[in-house]
Order: sequence, then structure tokens, then C-alpha cells
Amino acid sequence: MYDIILKNVTKKFGNLTAVDDISFTIPKSSVTVLLGPSGCGKTTLMRMIAGLDTPTSGQIFFDDVEATRVPTKRRNIGMVFQYPVIYRGTSVRRNLELPLLSEKLSKAEITKRVDEVAELLGLTDVLSRRVEELDNGTRQKIAVGREVARQPKIILFDEPITNIDITAKLELKRSLKELFSRLQQTIIYVTHDQTEAMTLADQIALMKDGLIIQCDSPKKIYESPKTEFAGWFLGTPGMNFVPQEFLTVQDSSITSPLFSQKIELGAKSKIVKTLGVRAEAISVSAQEVKGTVNATVLRKSIGVGGQFLLDLAYGPLLVKARVPHALGRSIGEKVWTTIESQSITFFDEAGSAI
Amino acid sequence: MSSIALEVRNLKKSYDGKAILDNLSFIAKVNDFSVICGKPGSGKSVLVRTIMGLESVDSGEIIFRGKNVTGDDAGSRNIGYIPQSFALYPHFSVRKNIEYPLDLIKASVAEKNDAVTRVSDLLNIGDLLSKKPNELSGGQKQRVAIARGLSKATDVYVLDDPLVGLDFKLRERLIDDLRRSQEELKVAFIYITSDPTEALSLAKSVFILAEGKIVQQGSLEDVYDNPTTQSSMSTLGFPEANFISGSISDSIFQSDIFKVKVDVSLSQKNVSAGIRPEGLLLGEHPDAINVKASLVLMENLGSEFAVYLRVGGTQLITVVSRSDEETLKILDSKTFTVSLKPDAISIFDANSGSMIGKGLSNV
Repeated sequence: MYDIILKNVTKKFGNLTAVDDISFTIPKSSVTVLLGPSGCGKTTLMRMIAGLDTPTSGQIFFDDVEATRVPTKRRNIGMVFQYPVIYRGTSVRRNLELPLLSEKLSKAEITKRVDEVAELLGLTDVLSRRVEELDNGTRQKIAVGREVARQPKIILFDEPITNIDITAKLELKRSLKELFSRLQQTIIYVTHDQTEAMTLADQIALMKDGLIIQCDSPKKIYESPKTEFAGWFLGTPGMNFVPQEFLTVQDSSITSPLFSQKIELGAKSKIVKTLGVRAEAISVSAQEVKGTVNATVLRKSIGVGGQFLLDLAYGPLLVKARVPHALGRSIGEKVWTTIESQSITFFDEAGSAI
Repeated sequence: MSSIALEVRNLKKSYDGKAILDNLSFIAKVNDFSVICGKPGSGKSVLVRTIMGLESVDSGEIIFRGKNVTGDDAGSRNIGYIPQSFALYPHFSVRKNIEYPLDLIKASVAEKNDAVTRVSDLLNIGDLLSKKPNELSGGQKQRVAIARGLSKATDVYVLDDPLVGLDFKLRERLIDDLRRSQEELKVAFIYITSDPTEALSLAKSVFILAEGKIVQQGSLEDVYDNPTTQSSMSTLGFPEANFISGSISDSIFQSDIFKVKVDVSLSQKNVSAGIRPEGLLLGEHPDAINVKASLVLMENLGSEFAVYLRVGGTQLITVVSRSDEETLKILDSKTFTVSLKPDAISIFDANSGSMIGKGLSNV
């Protein structure tokens, strides 16, 4: 399988720089998710790896072989798109074996590959069915299976779940997760959905404005964002930010209306411009406790698994906190909160974590 | 003034003999964020069209501000409308786009200026007013479209699934904008959606729409905690609640995968036990119903994992916090125990969908 190495890859469309001088290695035999908001350059980057677009400048290598200008069909890659590509009027088996027929494989080998991939994706029972009888989640599995059966070195997925019916989404996600754990291929997966990214990725390459701003495991990128953008983009809701106007720096320590303690940061305290705190890092109590600060509950709403999400006001400073259902149900307008110092992230002027 | 913004009484509408709205009634109050939440096919779009006056009704009454407007045309109802699709006029500036609904009702220049100031402050788009739509980002366009919907000064606004199809980060921001807008304007927002997460994050009052009827209405917290129908429990909650079919005899609910003592004395063949994801706990717990499970998929939601499990032939879902490392370790085993809290179980009549009782204890 191939490592994919990008060297100073740039793609411009007129005045717009879609991909901005990216140098990056996508490691072989792992799942790399390109995650970011629309317009961040993730699809353009994938299209250049596929050979569907050519970089304006820079080079792309598959291991040590340059692929920058190699045509798509000679790159030994598979591709799965947003809308399932299927051949209507034929069976699922026929759909899976069609690309193999032109590859000079023995009949036995073709049957073996089709049976294996059907097994992997849970399609064995529908192999003789006609594709138009199946829901679009199953059709997408067929499109995935066809690419896997060809055994390319790299498989690219462009938002394969986005347009699938909500009822079939989960099964497709489960199936892809299972598939990815068994495949040896280098997998690149493009999405704007953080849940999908965190569920499927070995590493997430978070993109913004044509740049990869952080590439880490889902756990690392959630727990240790390197920028304010990463803290905001990962998580629902994203990280809370406390801007400079609510921070007081004195003798290398920082205070804020959000917590009662003084946080010692040494010389670094001078460059702190923003604090980041996740909603679940704020401990909330319905009664006054020593060492806590007082906040007003502006709004309550319900989140995942019945937890309450609180909009809290510390004077003019607004943040979101997450509390268990029973506590959320019982609290009134006033609450008392604390935050452990180690769950606070500090950012500098440029929005980079210190 | 009455505190009722909109009352809908016994609304009926059929197409080709099929009832789409079936004796539907509800009351939406002034200064409230009312969310009508129904699954696809429950009758949402027909309901919106009848409220707006774009569709006639077979019978029933639509009463705005105490006045029956059932047969009146759309223009006379004085409702603000924020539609599902956000098409802005590309050749108009942002200001002209926002003013457009006011031009239709021939508002004065002073009224238009007031409206533009009010909504552009509310949605923080004051510096965009002279720009054209193609100079705006996706998020800015959505804000302008919401501002346009709010520009007509009235006391009732209908929001027809306005966030559908937007990416989730944009939705997160617009949800805050919409809640703040309703609070500052102190008007009635009537918001229609099929997305439970929108209902849970926006609603003060919630109305559950199922098969053309409002099957339950109340404050968000009350409907969440005390669903009176299976539709309420399954529609309002994320991830969606688990339902296990079974039967009751001698006050015991029995299914393929567990049994529990219930407060229902009548024997019934066809019932369904509902339990929310948070009613399931990984690992063994005393006094709970302990069953063997295997892992299907962990969905990483950020601060939590949605954990899909298989128990016998049934798939169940629970939620585990990222920080709860001890519980997450349980999932490393091939099979493990999951417990169902008896008091978190609601029993529904599978035919009528009505709640008929609760779980009491392990047997």
C-alpha cells in the first residue's frame, strides 16, 4: 500500500486559492479523514490525489513515485462518491463483478473476490437481487464493494454518507467502520460532519482556508485542539471562549469571572489572549459551595442522552455548560460553578494554543 | 390582550380519501418558542400550508389572535414567514432583500428603515447591508434570509424547517440567534421540524405531530420526562429511545430479552416497552435488569459516545461520557452486561400508542 506525500501542493481557481501550499504525508493502511467546513479545500485536495484536478504547483507522490500528472485510471485508486453509482437493471453480483471483467482475472478469482467483499459489507443475502429494489444505503454499499473488489492501493470517499436516507445511515456507518478495520488500503475520507470523522478516522486532518491546521487522532484533536478553530469545530457545542476583555493578567497569573482561582502561567501569561473551556468541564452546583463563582441561568435546553445544556451568564460573559438531566431539571435561575485549571486551554493572539 | 397567538381547532385535511391532518388541535402562546416536531410523513408541510393560508382545510378552525381566519387569504393573516429554502434575490442588496416583504405591503420608508435597523442588530449583519448576496458567506446568507423573514413587524412568525440541510456548525450558531431573537422580540415563534436535536435545543413549548394529530403538547422538559404516547418518546429525544415489543401478564412485562414488573394489571398481548438511551447503563447494577450484550458501533459525538449494542436479536442504544473511562473499558470485552433501570421504562399499548404504565422493579 502507498503513503501519499504532498509537497507544497497549491490549487488556484482564478483568484481563489482553494489549497494553499500543503505539505503533508497521509500514512499507508490507515484512515485519514479530511474534515472542515464547506469551502475549506478538502474536496479539491482529494480530487488532486485522485487525479481529477491537477495542482497549480507542487507535487504528489505515491510512496516514492511521482503521481502529480498521472491520469486517474493509472493511479490504482478506488473512488466512492456522495451519490451511489450503480448499474441499473442488473443484479448486485453483476454490479460488483463488472469492473473485474476487464482485468484478466480467472472466473474463480472474480467469484472469490465478489463473495469476500459481499461478506465484508453484509451483502451476501442480496447478491442476486436487482439493485433498484434496494434502499440507497445498500446501493452505496454496492458502490463501496465494487471499489474494494478491484483491490486498489488507495480508496477515496467523498462524503459517502451525506445523502443517504437517515434510516440507512447508521447501518452504512457501521458497515464502513467494520470494513475500514479489515482493509489494508490507504483510505482518505472527506466529510464536513465531525461525528462521522471522529467515528471513522484513525487521524483527522482538520482543514480551513486551504490549509491543514491540525492532524491528530480523534481523541487528541478533541482534547487538545491546537487552535481556537479546532476547539470550536469539534464538539457540539464547540468550546467556549473567554476573550481578553474578561481576563486579568497580574504577576504571571490569570484571573477571570469564570472561576475563583488564580491560574499561574509564568511568563506565558503575557501572551494569553483567549481561554477555551469545554461545556462539560464546567462543574455546576445548585447550591453555593466554597471556591465557586455565581452564574445566572439564561436558558436551558436538552442535549445528547437527556443532559441539559445551560446558557450561563457571568455578568456580560456568556458560556455554555452541560449538566446531568436530574440536576438540569432541578436548578433555578442561580447556579455556582467551578472549573479545574487543567481543563482550560490558553490561546495566543493568532488563536494558537499555548 | 390574549396570551394565545394561534389556536388550531379540529383541523382536517384529506387527499384522495387519505387523512393528512386528522382532527388536529393545538394552542401556541405569545412570547413562546413553540416547536412542532414530527417525523417525515407526519403532516408537517400540509399543516404549515394551512396555517399560512396557502391551502384550504376540509373542516376545523384556524384562529390568530382570537380571530377566526380559516377562510381568509394568506396576505390578510399578518404572519411573518421564514421558509425552508433561503433564496435571496441576487441582484438586490442585503438591505433591499430585507425590505422586500415590506415593499409587498407598501410600508413607508421610515417603517422600512426601522425594520432594517431592528433585524440587522438582532442578527448582527449591520455591516453587510450594502453588499450583494454573492459577496456573502453561506452563514451570512442564512442570517440575511432569517432577517428578511423577521423584517415584517408582527407578533407571530412561522419558521418552516429553516435549518434543514445546513451544516451542523452553522446550525449551532443559528440556533443561538433564533432563540435570542425570539426572547428579544417577545413574540410567538412557531417552528416546524423533523429534527429532534433542533426541537430539544430551541423549544420552550413542544408539540408532537404524529399521523396528522398533535399527540402531546407541553413544556419541553415535561414532554421529555413524561411522554404520554410512544410517538412522543420516539420523536423527542436524541439518540432516539429504544422500544422493545412484548406482552404483559400478572403485572410482568415479558419480551425476548428481558422481563420487568410493571404497574399494569390487565393482561395484554401487544405492548411496547420504551427506554431512553440514558436509562441503559453499561456494567452490572443491583436492582436493575442485567442482560448480556455485544458492541455494534461506537459513534464518537465529542463529549459522549453513542454506543449501539446487540442484545439477543435486538439493537439497543446507550450514551457514555468520554470522561467515564472506567465504563468505556467495559466495551473492550466481547460480551458484557448492560442494565436497564426499571423506573426508566415506559409501557405503551402497541395498537393505540398510548402510555399505559411504568416499570416498577426487577423480577
